[in-house]
Amino acid sequence: MKRKSDVVIIGGGVNGCSIAYNLAKKGLDVVLFEKNYLAAGATGACGAGIRQQWSTRENALLAIQSVKIFERLNRILGQDIEFRQGGYLIAVHDSQGMEQAKKNVTMQRSLGLKVNILQPEEIPKVAAILDVNGMRVIGATFCPTDGHANPFKTTFAYAHAARNYGAEINTHTSVVGLKVAGKAIRTVVTDKGTIHTDVVVNAAGIDSKEIAKMAKVNLPLKPFRKEIMATERLAPLFEAMVISFKDGIYFSQQKEGQIVGGIPIPEETEGYKTMPTFAFLQHMSQTLTRYAPVLKHVNLLRHWTGFYDVTPDARPILGVVKDVKGFIQCNGFSGHGFMISPMVSKLLTDLIAEGKTSEVLESLSLDRFKGKVTEKELSVVG
Amino acid sequence: MVRGRCVRIRTHPIIDFPKRKQLSFCFQKKRLVGEEGDTIASALHAAGIRTLTTSLKYDNPRGFFCGIGKCSSCLMRVNGIPNVRICIAPLKEGICVEMQDKLARLPVAEFFGEPTKTLDFDVLVVGAGPAGLCAALESASRNAPVLLVDENQCLGGQLVKQTHKFFGSREERAGTRGIDIAKDLECELHRLQREGKIQVMTDATVIGYYESKNRHRFGVVKRCEYKSRLYDVRCKAVILACGAMENMLLFPGNDLPGVYGAGAVQTLMNVYGVKPGDRVLMVGAGNVGLIVSYQLLQAGIMVDRVVEAAPVIGGYHVHAAKLRRCGVPIFTSHSIKEVYGDEKVEGAIVVKLDEQWKPVKGSEEDVPCDTICLAVGLTPSTRLLSQIGVDLEFIPEAGGYVALHDESMQTSVRGVYVAGDASGIEEASTAMIEGKIAGLAAAMQLGRIRKKNLLVQYQNQLSQLRAGPFGEKPRIAKEKIAKHVEIGHV
Ligand SMILES: Cc1cc2nc3c(=O)[nH]c(=O)nc-3n(C[C@H](O)[C@H](O)[C@H](O)COP(=O)(O)OP(=O)(O)OC[C@H]3O[C@@H](n4cnc5c(N)ncnc54)[C@H](O)[C@@H]3O)c2cc1C
Ligand SMILES: Cc1cc2nc3c(=O)[nH]c(=O)nc-3n(C[C@H](O)[C@H](O)[C@H](O)COP(=O)(O)OP(=O)(O)OC[C@H]3O[C@@H](n4cnc5c(N)ncnc54)[C@H](O)[C@@H]3O)c2cc1C
Ligand code: FES
Repeated sequence: MKRKSDVVIIGGGVNGCSIAYNLAKKGLDVVLFEKNYLAAGATGACGAGIRQQWSTRENALLAIQSVKIFERLNRILGQDIEFRQGGYLIAVHDSQGMEQAKKNVTMQRSLGLKVNILQPEEIPKVAAILDVNGMRVIGATFCPTDGHANPFKTTFAYAHAARNYGAEINTHTSVVGLKVAGKAIRTVVTDKGTIHTDVVVNAAGIDSKEIAKMAKVNLPLKPFRKEIMATERLAPLFEAMVISFKDGIYFSQQKEGQIVGGIPIPEETEGYKTMPTFAFLQHMSQTLTRYAPVLKHVNLLRHWTGFYDVTPDARPILGVVKDVKGFIQCNGFSGHGFMISPMVSKLLTDLIAEGKTSEVLESLSLDRFKGKVTEKELSVVG
Repeated sequence: MVRGRCVRIRTHPIIDFPKRKQLSFCFQKKRLVGEEGDTIASALHAAGIRTLTTSLKYDNPRGFFCGIGKCSSCLMRVNGIPNVRICIAPLKEGICVEMQDKLARLPVAEFFGEPTKTLDFDVLVVGAGPAGLCAALESASRNAPVLLVDENQCLGGQLVKQTHKFFGSREERAGTRGIDIAKDLECELHRLQREGKIQVMTDATVIGYYESKNRHRFGVVKRCEYKSRLYDVRCKAVILACGAMENMLLFPGNDLPGVYGAGAVQTLMNVYGVKPGDRVLMVGAGNVGLIVSYQLLQAGIMVDRVVEAAPVIGGYHVHAAKLRRCGVPIFTSHSIKEVYGDEKVEGAIVVKLDEQWKPVKGSEEDVPCDTICLAVGLTPSTRLLSQIGVDLEFIPEAGGYVALHDESMQTSVRGVYVAGDASGIEEASTAMIEGKIAGLAAAMQLGRIRKKNLLVQYQNQLSQLRAGPFGEKPRIAKEKIAKHVEIGHV
């Protein structure tokens, strides 16, 4: 383990690893600490859906630009991350939902995104297993360039490429303290030794709150347990990710054939809970088979939980904080931090390596929670 | 499709295999005949069908491996329902069995599901092997209502295939055959069942542990006619006696149909009366390897040889002597290098190992055979324990990760007990006492019995069983577990 570096990254999820890659590629001396194994946090638990259909402009922009990067990522990183563009079908259930959908689509189209509004009878053309009556829909929106990737392979590919550029990635090493002097970061303390640095990136997922506390910074993050399941492997049935903001469900079929999806249980409350619930089994299977009755024949194979790190406006916290120089935030993804990671890491790399800031970073800084009300992301699922 | 010459065993020195009712069924549009009591796998095997599926990536033919529902190498389509583990699915008259075209396609038929049912018991026992049976009997006879769940059609776990006379202490029925011990335990179980003290659910899998306020809560899937029903089971105490899983070895050709785990071979010949093959190469000379080799001979099957990587035989010498008397050579410091064959096992290359366990060049020998039996150890089944979140520790002498437990078999989570092979690979005799201890301790925890002397008596029996030279490994394992627990408590 090095004793000194330009940047220390805390967290070996998709965000930590992609930042490590981008910074190392720019020639910076990077050290990453992961207390467990790579992708052990939300990244390894997630659905890895990649959606550009958002209600806030920043999220839509981040996702659109990220998809452009995802499309080239196999070549850039030299490994297959199983990125597939089967589209996202968003169910719309009532007139209020349709009104919001139309508003979203107008904004998304203004950013150059190809999105369609579908009539109920057009839905089975996108995914034949869907039952329009069971879904109780009046329509849907569909963007064919949305998709998903393999979260493990993506993270491992970033880490591998980062190491090739000289980054030092330490797994099974916990950050236990931060030393701040003169309002600036000086030292990172781990359970295997200390390291001096001027810049620390806090990409520790739900644990980012604890990390920030070490520098006396308070992050408005709340932990929500999210449950997710995978079925047995099936021959290809459909390509799209199907989601509903009203029912909270999302599901898609992976490259290997299993259907992966989740739904929040109605009685869920915030907290650091990790145990799966029986209620999820029932709620998920009932809703899933209402959407796609043929799946009644399928066995569920696995069911696990992960955390959403939720902010008051369901948008991430990125960039500098006022009181501690060199302490960069990369957390609060509120359940959609995988899909925007290519762009998030690019923006943060520009900030760290070149001091370049951007409109998006400004609007997503921690400072936004001081005083005025911020625009809330409405298109949240799971 | 590959057809061998495997047939039914009709005469056997120990087991009676009467001719049973014939059941006709359809396989790949052809009519085949099996017998009542068969699983689909045993019926197919008896009909000479070894290739059940093809591997997803390389299209290799696949047969079954574990024979007890643990490895998913036997998935087929039954009556239109995909991904049925046919090694534990009972054969029924008129069913239609098909090979899957790799990934499963969904049936067009309507699905008739049954609503989830909630059950509430004092004690849930997972697994009805010797450990689970004894645990269930002990708790139930202290008036703690018990639900006993097992994945298989029949009770007894590994006992139902053990036709040899057991070692161990007189109290634990040394000298009695495993199959007879299973029958005795089952008899006692039925008595308590009639008294309403135990409910038994076979053909049912405990699939997971779920959040719950003041009880333990499990999901159980009960299969019925290849359909299933979900149960929401709550209990105050749970005893996990899930047994163990067979280990696999790495070598080219290890996925050819005809490479079987020792458990599968034993199940096929001793439970269903079907010959696994005609000429067997046994890998491993521990007790399991030696006993199963002898049982193969009893069933009229040729055992070419036993190879053992270690320089010494691991099992009891009486078993080894019996084999040698029958002319089966045991090669120590030898291992299997590869298995070859077109679509099925046709032979193996065995090789000598030097002191560093490295293959000796030029020592390769070609052994023609149609069955490879792997008896290379077991790994405790700790998946449910791990999901519950009990403290686990890697202890090589116990066979892998095991749950840390105290002298009453309670794990680090209150009300969660472990017994038998799941708490460290050992023997049926010790599994039974561990089961009794766990069952008694659970009843004590629930306030059904207060006297401690019986518990102490069982614990003493356990130490006596482990006192001999062959008890050394488990003794070390249990000492290590105790040490971890002690450190944890400080
Ligand atoms: C069930 C579920 C489904 C989801 N579905 C989607 C989806 O479809 N699309 C999408 O875009 N997003 C989805 N998400 C969200 C997404 O997974 C996360 O936003 C994203 O993975 C966050 O990545 P990260 O690298 O920021 O954090 P994480 O992956 O959580 O990584 C943080 C890492 O920091 C490590 N760490 C913590 N503390 C320390 C310490 N003190 N020292 C060292 N290391 C430490 C942790 O071990 C962890 O590995 C989902 C999340 C869940 C839970
Ligand atoms: C060839 C051979 C010879 C042996 N000879 C001897 C001997 O001479 N003397 C001796 O004392 N011992 C002997 N043993 C060892 C002995 O058989 C085992 O140690 C003993 O059976 C272990 O008992 P158990 O109850 O822990 O597990 P098992 O007998 O393996 O039973 C576990 C049961 O739990 C069920 N189960 C597991 N998970 C679930 C789940 N999630 N839901 C529902 N059910 C589940 C399984 O299907 C199984 O039926 C021998 C073993 C073998 C293989
Ligand atoms: S699950 Fe059937 S052979 Fe292993």
